[in-house]
Amino acid sequence: MKSFLFPAIQTIFILLIAASFYATSWFGEEYVLRAEPYDPFDPFLGEYVLLQYPDLKPGEEVQTGDVFFTLTRGDDGYAVIDRIDNEPFFGAIRGSYYRGELVTAPGLDQYYVEQGTGPGLEEAEKLALTIDVSPWGTLRPTFLEAREGN
Amino acid sequence: MELHDKLKNWQQAGLIDQLTAEQISAFERKQPKKTKLPLLLIIGLIFFSLAVFSFIAANWQAMPAGLKIGLVLLLMWLFYTIAHFAERKNFGWPHPFRLIGLAMFGAAIIVTIQAFHLALSTPVLAWALFIAAILHYFYWQRLAYAVVAFAFGIRLLFSSIETLGWIQWLVFIAVALAWFYFSKSKLPAVFSWLLLFGSGLMLWTLVEHESALWPIWTLFALVPLLAAVPKEKADMVRPYYLLLAGLQLLVYLSIRGAVQTPFDSLDGTESLLLLAAGIGIAALCYIRFRSITWIAVLGLVGILLLDETAIGLAIVVEVAILGFLFIANREDRPLALGFVYFILAQFVLYFIFAWERLDMSLFFLLGAILLFALSGLAWWFNRRKAGAAS
Repeated sequence: MKSFLFPAIQTIFILLIAASFYATSWFGEEYVLRAEPYDPFDPFLGEYVLLQYPDLKPGEEVQTGDVFFTLTRGDDGYAVIDRIDNEPFFGAIRGSYYRGELVTAPGLDQYYVEQGTGPGLEEAEKLALTIDVSPWGTLRPTFLEAREGN
Repeated sequence: MELHDKLKNWQQAGLIDQLTAEQISAFERKQPKKTKLPLLLIIGLIFFSLAVFSFIAANWQAMPAGLKIGLVLLLMWLFYTIAHFAERKNFGWPHPFRLIGLAMFGAAIIVTIQAFHLALSTPVLAWALFIAAILHYFYWQRLAYAVVAFAFGIRLLFSSIETLGWIQWLVFIAVALAWFYFSKSKLPAVFSWLLLFGSGLMLWTLVEHESALWPIWTLFALVPLLAAVPKEKADMVRPYYLLLAGLQLLVYLSIRGAVQTPFDSLDGTESLLLLAAGIGIAALCYIRFRSITWIAVLGLVGILLLDETAIGLAIVVEVAILGFLFIANREDRPLALGFVYFILAQFVLYFIFAWERLDMSLFFLLGAILLFALSGLAWWFNRRKAGAAS
């Protein structure tokens, strides 16, 4: 039965990854980010939309490189940066920022979509990405849709 | 029946007697028979699998993430189970099935990446398959798993260029070292050693100090490894030190010859340090690993790269390879690889120094003379060898 040890360990590994993302939703808070798309295709991983976030602009005091930030809801309901720092602090999302660009984070920079829906979302231009953010700073994108208004 | 006929033929030809034929027959009867799957069952299984895959593909987009991951994991378990029974009941090919199971593990990670919108740059897939394949290799001792581990080790080194940090780098080295130390056969040992060398090249990304000499530092750093492992293990990888040193010399010569401006990523202090390290490596190799002492020549490269004409480097390459061939010939060691390297070196030198400096007719004339001289040299070596053998 030792030969089943490998699939068992591999299954636990996959379940742990999946559980870490579900935990973000179970214990986290939901935010909606204003998003702008561009639309590539990866033959290996499928169709996805690359996203950037016009509201994630840091202040002048932030240095380029790794940044740590939290989100809060703005007046119009869309998420904006609450606190941002170049040093880590508890509950912060780890992201990156380069001068002249917007803040982004692993998991925020692309969203996999159903085959064939990428061009439609690209045409919409104005998108909204719903994410769950856990109290310990991990995030899980859950839904991408076209945005009404600004 | 086939064996029976053969035994009868051998008996008639007087190769074996009656008693031997009966003993072979009795021995073969006791051997476990390989169970073959009926053809109809195989065809049925193929069609059934196609139907299942078609059904999954048609409904893939509508499935929730958990179900997608679960399905791929189920396939992984299916192939590992088939492999288990193929091994126990002696049918089919357990290792190809297990390899498919491993591939399904990779597929499960990809589906997870997709389902949770993980960043494309995540090295999770390469890390997971690298470690899993190494563990498979140690458990089942099959080369196929070592090949998979090597492929994902390389992928990890290349795909992590932007994301690799010191911790990942150290873990990678620890894993490759453990693989090298505990692997029992030659190819897996060579694979892990090559990954160790590759991890040195990653210093280009990790360290802020720009250096053109990381490959040489890495090769030098790997020399003490030979002292830390048993002699048989050291013998497995020793030729690769020479091979990589030779390749590095040629690459440095090509680059120095082609780029006739100073290198930004080269400073005199580092070149002197490399020379000192080269002298140390020469002493260590001469005492402990004499056959690879030639790699110490790389210690000169730092200083020679400061010369924009590349003439010094060209002279060192020529002297080193001729010296190597001369000593190998005197000690009656095989010359073939050394000679191939010699020819390669001549062509690199020829292209560097002749291509841009000569007109076309002179270029081809010199090329023809060079080829003629090399053929003559090969003929002379061959004649000497044949003379010594007779």
